[in-house]
Amino acid sequence: MSSSTVNYDESAGRIGTRPRYEIRPPSLAGVNLLGSLTKLAQYKDLIWTLCVHRVKVRYKQSVLGILWAILQPLAVMMIFTFVFSIIARMPSEGAPYAIFAYTALLPWNYFSSGVANATVSLANHAQFVTKVYFPREILPISYVAAALFDFLVASTLLAGLMIYYRVPLTLNALYAIPIIAVLTCFALAMSLLFSATQVRFRDLGVAVPLLLQVWLFATPVIYPLSAVPERLRPFYMLNPMVGVIESFRHAILKGVAPDMGPLLFATVIAIILLVVAYLYFKWVEATMADFA
Amino acid sequence: MIDLTFDRVSKKYRIYHESEDGKSPSGLGRITRRLRGNWDDFWALRDVSFEVERGEALGIIGQNGAGKSTILKLLYNITTPTKGRIAINGRLAALIEVASGFHPELTGRENVFLNGSLLGMKRSEIRKKLDSIVDFAGVSAFIDTPVKRYSSGMYLRLGFAIAAHLDPDILLLDEVLAVGDAVFQTKCIERIKQLRNDGTTIVFVSHNLGAVQSLCDRVFLLRKGEVYRSGPAIDVISEYEHMLTNMPATASSRPTDVDATSPVHITSVNLFNTAGQKTTMFATGDEMRAEVEFMAHEALEDVVVELRFYSIFHNLHSHFSTESDDVKLDLEKGRGVVEFFCPELPFEPAAFSVEASIRRRESDFTQHLDYKHATNLHVTKGKPVNGAFHTFHTWSLKTDLHPDVIPVNAPAVGRNVD
Repeated sequence: MSSSTVNYDESAGRIGTRPRYEIRPPSLAGVNLLGSLTKLAQYKDLIWTLCVHRVKVRYKQSVLGILWAILQPLAVMMIFTFVFSIIARMPSEGAPYAIFAYTALLPWNYFSSGVANATVSLANHAQFVTKVYFPREILPISYVAAALFDFLVASTLLAGLMIYYRVPLTLNALYAIPIIAVLTCFALAMSLLFSATQVRFRDLGVAVPLLLQVWLFATPVIYPLSAVPERLRPFYMLNPMVGVIESFRHAILKGVAPDMGPLLFATVIAIILLVVAYLYFKWVEATMADFA
Repeated sequence: MIDLTFDRVSKKYRIYHESEDGKSPSGLGRITRRLRGNWDDFWALRDVSFEVERGEALGIIGQNGAGKSTILKLLYNITTPTKGRIAINGRLAALIEVASGFHPELTGRENVFLNGSLLGMKRSEIRKKLDSIVDFAGVSAFIDTPVKRYSSGMYLRLGFAIAAHLDPDILLLDEVLAVGDAVFQTKCIERIKQLRNDGTTIVFVSHNLGAVQSLCDRVFLLRKGEVYRSGPAIDVISEYEHMLTNMPATASSRPTDVDATSPVHITSVNLFNTAGQKTTMFATGDEMRAEVEFMAHEALEDVVVELRFYSIFHNLHSHFSTESDDVKLDLEKGRGVVEFFCPELPFEPAAFSVEASIRRRESDFTQHLDYKHATNLHVTKGKPVNGAFHTFHTWSLKTDLHPDVIPVNAPAVGRNVD
């Protein structure tokens, strides 16, 4: 065995001057949004490493590897097409049902797989949470990031379907970028809320997948918004995912600018919820390790 | 300069009770239990205040449940206090074994990056230290192999090597330091000493009194969540030992597989100084006598008595055996004492744990009739130790030299070869 001294450049490890900080009992009033975000930014290397890690680990040792990111939504789309189009004759606003469903499934899958995985992320990494300090929100964030990566991979199939069905791409498709940004905020907000709560109430690990299943049917994914009876609309539109999914489908499939009302509503809800969820998360984080 | 401040810190844990019938409640039972308040508040720490100076090494000792680990968890910000304030001045890191965070499918290299980032290292920093980490862990040949193919030793060593490469201003050390074989442990100790010499502030929590004494200037003795004593390492440790020995039985005897039906038992091991007083404090070069008291339940022929001195982190420092010294011992039924005499204690200033064992000569050296962690030995500065140990020695000067002996100031043969 080699010599026992550690021989690297000693100065390499020191980052700037000595940080000073205080630890006090947890209180909601003591949560410092700006301070937390600064701290999070300092850990950008860990965020990156963990996100890459998620993607790597998921497809390691599987023969089809990254193809699963496409195969999974493709299979769901085919089942939906068979059940809802061929058997139930669901209307699809003039578009072929397959691409009609897939355009909505894509953002929905991003949301639902991100949130479902993130919910159990803290409890499943108790070995990190109880041993090492790092901003805990990095764990749920990394799962949402991995889901976003899968979304991008699965988007290539959407492009393929559009060519196959000769759906023209217009400049309005660029609306997809802010729409996905809003969806990401919303997914992060739900992930932070659920994961922080799940550490103490493990029921959420079971309840959230169920909730997401119900949520799918309360969102225009397998059916068009136009199929929802007019008198139910006011309640129906309270679901922020309606604005997100419907806008995405409009921008990509119909090539028209999305209906701004529902999209704006979703944006406001997503941003408020994200701030509230983050504050709540940081408050709960203080004693998380006692329950993990 | 103060690096760490604990200002009247308390930490409460809430412990929920099982229901009366011993079954853990589910569903509604769980909810009503929370509402009824069927729990106990457990104060792991009560009003603990202290300060640690820059460059100081503080040891924290105490029995299980005294609150030692809670202090580390609070310092490391894994959890927060219920009351009080903690102030930290510097980059803080814990030298802990992090291998449990390894992902089995990832290679050693990938895991180093993952765990290094978790510990707060920058990717560029990890890249710089990668070779040194791998070298430290002794896994160079397997760095691109998935860690699931690693032996458990390699696994632990790599996990620990990452933590050992943090460059903290303040270092937290936990019990888990005893990882790997003797060679690896020595490396770890070297690394800690190196950090210490560089002026790193250290907080060390351990049951291993020897290790604490060797590393720390000042020691806290925790008892039921409160600081019971604090002061120079050697004083607090000896007080703690005194406390332990005055407690009902088995406090210091380590559990062994020696069964109660054994024909002989070691009842106690005591150390005596030159004045014949029982003590655990000796200076290097002091005379030391050890008495191994035994109770033989039957007469035993040809037994071997052994004394082992373990140093920091349970490395065997020295081993003395009546077998290797060719002493034949026949025990009669009843009580007796085997005496070990050492005219000049050779050990360097450090703390040792002393273990005594007794076995039949013909039996395997692991087949003890009895084996006890007997006592501790604290060696302080006495006769100088230049190197690893002191030994009995004399010097003399002779002046009436024979004429054919070359005087010291004569030119050495072969000096002017050119």
